[in-house]
Amino acid sequence: MLNALIQALKNLISPPVTLQYPLAEDITLPAQYRGLIEYSAEDCIFCDKCEHACPPRAIIFFQEANGDKVYRYNPHLCIYCGECVRACPKPQEALWQSEKKQPFALRAENVNSEWKVWEERCSESRDAFAAAKKAKKAAKAQSDGQGEMQ
Amino acid sequence: MKKTVEIPLGSQHISLLEPIRFRFHCENEVIRDVDADVGFVHRGVEEACASRFEFKQVGYVVARVCGLCAITHSLGYTLAVEKLLHVETSMRIKYLRMLMVELDRIHSHMLCLAHTAENAGFEALFMQIMNERELVMDVQEALSGNRVQFDYISIGGVNRDLSAQAGALVLRNLSLLEPKIDELFERFTSNWSLSLKYRGIGALSLTQAYMYNTLGPLARAAGLETDVRLETNDFPYAQIGFEIITEQGGDIYARNLVRLREIKQSIKMVRHIIEGLPEGAIQEKTKGKPEGEAIVRIEAPRGELMYLVRGNKSSILERVRIKTPTFSGIPAMIEIFKGSNFADAPAILASFDPCMSCTAK
Amino acid sequence: MNKITVNLENVVETIKAFYNPAAHHFLTLNALNAPDDSIELEWIFTRYGVIDEPTVFTLTCKRDVLIPSVTSFIPSAIMSERETVDMFGVSIEGAKRGLYLDEDSREMPLGRCRV
Ligand code: SF4
Ligand code: SF4
Repeated sequence: MLNALIQALKNLISPPVTLQYPLAEDITLPAQYRGLIEYSAEDCIFCDKCEHACPPRAIIFFQEANGDKVYRYNPHLCIYCGECVRACPKPQEALWQSEKKQPFALRAENVNSEWKVWEERCSESRDAFAAAKKAKKAAKAQSDGQGEMQ
Repeated sequence: MKKTVEIPLGSQHISLLEPIRFRFHCENEVIRDVDADVGFVHRGVEEACASRFEFKQVGYVVARVCGLCAITHSLGYTLAVEKLLHVETSMRIKYLRMLMVELDRIHSHMLCLAHTAENAGFEALFMQIMNERELVMDVQEALSGNRVQFDYISIGGVNRDLSAQAGALVLRNLSLLEPKIDELFERFTSNWSLSLKYRGIGALSLTQAYMYNTLGPLARAAGLETDVRLETNDFPYAQIGFEIITEQGGDIYARNLVRLREIKQSIKMVRHIIEGLPEGAIQEKTKGKPEGEAIVRIEAPRGELMYLVRGNKSSILERVRIKTPTFSGIPAMIEIFKGSNFADAPAILASFDPCMSCTAK
Repeated sequence: MNKITVNLENVVETIKAFYNPAAHHFLTLNALNAPDDSIELEWIFTRYGVIDEPTVFTLTCKRDVLIPSVTSFIPSAIMSERETVDMFGVSIEGAKRGLYLDEDSREMPLGRCRV
């Protein structure tokens, strides 16, 4: 009780704990802040490991008819866990975690619905490619079989 | 004629941090009965863990059950899966995991103390504690790379090593924090409103504590000696100087004291961890798929957290059962409310440190 | 983990005979889907203050029977009983639905018959 009284009197004459804005120091991000995931198509071997490892499915590959894959990453869905980088066989070359801050999602960009459309297109492209491959194989097997018969 | 008046509190209320609704049946000022509705933030995490995500990803999903004890949630799940995969982690991994859990306990307890102060009318003290809490948050950010969602623990190890620089930062910030905790100790024991007025309010007797299976600081404030750090041997807590802390009385004052003393003890334990950090790998090799059933208990800041994981040799687990501390504390909470004054309800509530997003998961 | 198998008739008696409030801590009631439209329930206990394996009472029964409640001597079990009722669509004596689910929520989100 006495202590509290003494403390209260001390507080009367001591300066406030808070600082006015210009005096306060800026917030600096510590080193190795977990930021955006960055990718380089030149080094990627398209093993899809990052896609499978990602918990929220923020990395998706689109497959074109000739088999080429296109990387697509959603920074707004990403939780910056770094699992993709740990799964990648070529970390720091094909895929790495930068210290950049994530961008703001603007309403005009319509990030959610657009990503859903993209997700669907990707899985369709995968299915189409797999189906085409299967058909090709079947056709090949058939022509091989015909060749043997002749 | 009906004798009691019904007063609702919540689901949105100035003294509540998270949505919970109480209906107090009061007779004059005294609460006679309470209905609680706790399911406002149910998100179906258990279902998601057993249907949408593979077992390697679930650790990141369960971390999102709660913002404050993210680390204990992912640790609980990871330990359970490691038991199913028969992975034995190195001492260094264990130490680093303990380090994060203890840091988590410090800042979580500080948050609770801040809210207890705020609900007693000490807005400025709330701000001050939250400001001092930043010291711990900064350390955690430096260690894990993120402020709230640490994503530090993965199956088989931890994601980052502790650099000498980060170790020095931990020690520096803790030595800055320690005098401030002493000061808080002084505030919480000698200030009229925070100490004398809190004595005897919201008291839980030892018999009640046993009867309602209370846990964590709530039980220890009532003198019930239960602490998961003492009751399991997943981590070498004895090596870093852990001792159980109990108080008598079970009122708000005793709960505050338990939290303050635990902060001090955690600071001591963190120092021991940094000093005695063994060498070794930070990631162990894992292979296979989880099979069987494992129960893991962890002492989260609010009490015991349990994970039950059952797998059947496929990537999708069969069941993930999460039992959070507040969830089991609610029957005791209701019991304490009965017989208290309605005006004390916000203060009692804050002293429980309830976490609704854990409860409803 | 010590598992003790019980049946519908003796579950309450067995747990009552075992449970000592001053020594045992009731962890939780867990439910799992079992084959053949059954449900497996687990009452899990540990002990205060000592390193000990949890003791688990397991009961497998059909989904549509009325499961007896242990709340008469473990009052805190009401939370996990209500949760189980919500999540698995079983009925437990004295536990009402609606801890997490609302009127218009999907029925038994964790039950086997997922839509
Ligand atoms: S950091 Fe995590 S969430 Fe983000 S893309 Fe990689 S795996 Fe996915
Ligand atoms: S894991 Fe690496 S190499 Fe494989 S697809 Fe992803 S970025 Fe490319």
